[in-house]
Amino acid sequence: MKISKIRGLVAALFAAVTVVAPGASIASANTEITFWSWRTEDKAFYESQMRLFEAKNPGITVKFTPYLNTEYNAIVATALTAGKGPDVLQMRPYGGMANLSDAGNFLPLSTTDVPALKKLPAGILAGAQGYKDKKQFGLPYAVSALGVMYNPDILEKAGVGALPQTWAQLQSAFDKVKKAGFLPLGNAGGNGPALEQLHATVGPTFYGGTAFFNDVVAGKKTFTDKGYVASLKAVADLAKWMPANYQGIDYNTARGLFANEKAAFYIGGNYEIGYFRSLNPSITIGWFPAPKANAGAKRYVGTWADGAYAVNAKTTQKAAALKLINFLGTKEFGQALVDEIAFIPTAPYVKINDPAVKEINRWRTTLGTPFLNVVGFRFEAPTSSSILQPGFQKLIVGGTTPEQLAKDVQTAVASWYAPQKGKS
Amino acid sequence: MSSALRRDQNRTTRALLIPALTVIIVFTTVPALTTLSYAFFSWNGFERSGLAGFDNFQRLFQYPYLEQLTAALTHNTIAFVAIMILQTSLGLLLAYAMFRVKRGLRLYRVVVFLPVIFSLVVVGYLWQSLLDPYYGPINQIITAVGFPELAKPWLGDTTTALPSLIFINLWRWVGFPAIVFLAGLNAINTEYIEAARIDGASESQVFRKIMFPLLAPSLTIITVLTFIGAYEWFDLPFVIGGSNGSPAGATDTLALMFYRTSFGSIDSGANDVGVGSALGVLIFTLVGLGAAIGSTLLRRREVEQ
Repeated sequence: MKISKIRGLVAALFAAVTVVAPGASIASANTEITFWSWRTEDKAFYESQMRLFEAKNPGITVKFTPYLNTEYNAIVATALTAGKGPDVLQMRPYGGMANLSDAGNFLPLSTTDVPALKKLPAGILAGAQGYKDKKQFGLPYAVSALGVMYNPDILEKAGVGALPQTWAQLQSAFDKVKKAGFLPLGNAGGNGPALEQLHATVGPTFYGGTAFFNDVVAGKKTFTDKGYVASLKAVADLAKWMPANYQGIDYNTARGLFANEKAAFYIGGNYEIGYFRSLNPSITIGWFPAPKANAGAKRYVGTWADGAYAVNAKTTQKAAALKLINFLGTKEFGQALVDEIAFIPTAPYVKINDPAVKEINRWRTTLGTPFLNVVGFRFEAPTSSSILQPGFQKLIVGGTTPEQLAKDVQTAVASWYAPQKGKS
Repeated sequence: MSSALRRDQNRTTRALLIPALTVIIVFTTVPALTTLSYAFFSWNGFERSGLAGFDNFQRLFQYPYLEQLTAALTHNTIAFVAIMILQTSLGLLLAYAMFRVKRGLRLYRVVVFLPVIFSLVVVGYLWQSLLDPYYGPINQIITAVGFPELAKPWLGDTTTALPSLIFINLWRWVGFPAIVFLAGLNAINTEYIEAARIDGASESQVFRKIMFPLLAPSLTIITVLTFIGAYEWFDLPFVIGGSNGSPAGATDTLALMFYRTSFGSIDSGANDVGVGSALGVLIFTLVGLGAAIGSTLLRRREVEQ
């Protein structure tokens, strides 16, 4: 009895193995590639796009994993150094990951491998090249633009008629909103990078935008310039419009205040719009470029090629990885990028239908100025960002002065950037 | 025992040790020594170039690293002192209470030890939401009972962030010294205590003159482990403040600085493996020497039962 039971079991096992075996051989022919990103907000978007890619490329599956944005660099660096990185990954722009590309971690991309590269302008391509080695290491996929987002419903209730054109008008709009019982500004101080983006939005009109950018890159002006100090002070001045206890409010809570229609304004990049809509699909978002410092000043829209897709040089799935990169360079993907998550795709042949993004892009092309820290000063340590991100957290609580912070940035940049050496 | 038998036993012991030793050497000692050697090379991103001598150590003590190093070391030291004073004494108090309790010891032991077994990431997020300045219940309670001025952005203010972290650490870890001390108290020969009582010693005299001195071995373990833990403090600060020790570096520690310097962070694409490794050597030396000296000194004052 017992023996026959065992025999039965063995027979069943055999049957199971023979049934499974053909399936297993199909599975082994399947290629899985891994794809990393810092956009936890866009997980659903990327996953749906990956299913489209898989449908067009049978035999390849993509595993998309996003990581916390503030820890992404360290996670990628650790993994690549240990030889365990993903096949395809989102690469930070300009100096953001140039240390990794210069160390040969990314596969140089040729226009034969990735024809979409031919269609991109030189200024955009520069965002995904090495620092020492000017090879093309990534396919830039989006351009970001900074500005002031607002909630038209709250502004109407608060009686703010015309959109603020100057710094003084912006402050009086904040005042009106506050009186009407709403929170004027959703931005908060818990996250250094968000404060840096806030400065990159409102600051350029104070320091003189692109002209100052060129001067400071050429070493003709320094960060202790009066205009730059005033731009830092502008950030400190905004603190009083932020939510109570703004020092400890993290990035997600801050964004949630605007998305959930508690705050009338949020200052930042167009890449926030998709997140706002995912939290509150019924929200209406208006957008205008940062107001000018005074009647005589100019308005600017901070912009930069924000991120690229790159291939790990050590990938064992090069062909499949390149297929994915080419998919990410298609018109269809670019179109989805703008339609679904309100990014401004680099691909010139994409049509922008979203009214908010259309508006942003219109202002970006006329008032654009490079994001000073990201485009210019992230190539060696200490970067200007590494001083400013914690620096702004101190500044908004009165822990440092705009003058001192400007001096700290100058000391940091002058320690490695040749045109600024010896200048204070 | 005959010498032949002893030789035979030694041989067996050695044979039994070989597998474990091999694993330790291959997977711990060799990688650790390799990492230490990185400090003596110059690095180009993640590419190793020529020998650098003590250059990386020199740079660690110069701008811009010196300022971070001093701040981080200060935070580690504050954490060590605060944890020693608060966590250890509270642990001892809890242990004594559990030692004296007549009924329900098992329940108390579980309750006291429970947070220790929670995942640290869970503890971090739990406290982050409890202390959230906007939605968090703690500030809402403080405001509701009439002290709105005390409702602070606990984790966002540079003055309260580190004390808040130390408090969370205490909440999570206090069960550990409590259980160690409880075991120590249980190990004390009851005859000493009974004899003292017969001689008319008060409760506090029994604790101070008999229990506390005999707890010295437990105190040695706790002190040494607290020292190592405090100077290698990484997990909780990382979960709460990220690798930059937000806000404005107020919760930075040596281990966070090591991680950030070696591998880069969002604000600096440029990493420095050389300086990072030099810092690694410094932490290793500090913790190693500190623990060795500390345990030697503390052992000396332990009394035999």
